[in-house]
Amino acid sequence: MVILQNMSAASKIVMAATAILASGAVAAAASTHPDFTGLWKAYVVAGAQRASGFGGPRADLPLTEEGKRRVEEYKKLLGPEQANPGAYCVDYGTPTVMEMPGGYPLEFIQKADQLTIIYEVENETRRIYTGSRQLPVEKRIPSRGGYSQGHWEGDTLVVKTTDLLDGRDQGAHPHSDQATIDERFWLSKDKAGKSVLNYEASITDPVYYTAPVKIQRKYEPLQDGFILPYRCPDDFWYSLLDLRTEQLKAGKPANARMSDVYKAREAKE
Amino acid sequence: MSTFVKTWLVAASIPALALGASLASAHHSAAQFDFSKRITVEGTVERFEVKNPHAVAVIAVKDAKGAHNVEYEGHSASHFYRAGYTRDMVHVGDKIAILIAPRRDGADGGFIQAFTVNGKTVGFGGLSPTGKAADGTGAPAK
Repeated sequence: MVILQNMSAASKIVMAATAILASGAVAAAASTHPDFTGLWKAYVVAGAQRASGFGGPRADLPLTEEGKRRVEEYKKLLGPEQANPGAYCVDYGTPTVMEMPGGYPLEFIQKADQLTIIYEVENETRRIYTGSRQLPVEKRIPSRGGYSQGHWEGDTLVVKTTDLLDGRDQGAHPHSDQATIDERFWLSKDKAGKSVLNYEASITDPVYYTAPVKIQRKYEPLQDGFILPYRCPDDFWYSLLDLRTEQLKAGKPANARMSDVYKAREAKE
Repeated sequence: MSTFVKTWLVAASIPALALGASLASAHHSAAQFDFSKRITVEGTVERFEVKNPHAVAVIAVKDAKGAHNVEYEGHSASHFYRAGYTRDMVHVGDKIAILIAPRRDGADGGFIQAFTVNGKTVGFGGLSPTGKAADGTGAPAK
């Protein structure tokens, strides 16, 4: 570092640029495609009410008869508290997470062959594979987020999400495990010159829908922001340790179970 | 502290109402809370846990039912911090004023919309227990 300190500023810049170019991944992301890296929040239109990702299926969904039946069946399971996955520390899943239920920020981390999207709630993470390296089809475990493969069409990232689990709990946009979600991401500027990350999705699902269902969202940079810790299952683990600590203090074996945590909580309510 | 409870409509706070309702509906249906009403409750902190998915505050109040503890629910921890909450802001035994959206079924409890403790106000959507906009320390995240 002594040598670096003695070098001219111009030399340091040349060295830094060489180091960046030496990393093919960084060079490709920086020079070829728009970079979505950063923190994003819901784009706010002055005076407009924010759309929430939750609150039940959208009124204009082109439901099949089977779709209608499944929507009604799911409604019966919500109970008095109108349950949803987030209240039970479960990831929202695709596409709901892209609708930012609760209004938390999304973090985008872009590399040459992967776009990683992390929602603050439960650190719910999506990995969109944009290079030639793809998980073999037979190894794609169905999940709430699905498997996402992307490619660039000009300055637009085009993504196909498949291998989804049944999504009857996907808030405004329920779907079956047969659903495919086609997504597009691109950058623009609004009239005030603010950066906007545009998101469009189209859900194709022969079980639920007679026609593709479109979703549109816009995000704007979260200035000077941070993703804050948000994990709610941890609380149950700490409660289990507390119960076992009480058992030990009482001279009993430390064998409380998670069902005892639930019972203790219900007794408080 | 004698507890006084007042109800006021929030016609002047429609944007805040929209925010409060949409944040609340992230984890629950907003149906169980009446976001068209705001009630200010004063009491003493028995428990104040800023955690996920929802904060919990147990407040010792005195009202028509006598002296008793009431449990209120609030936003998630990160919403609290973005609204101006800081570590160790609230302690057991502190006097507190909380603005809540009451439960629709009339039972005790509600959803925390703002609170003032030790001279500091934290408000969601610009709300405060006095009905005025929250001060700089309580301003919601932009």
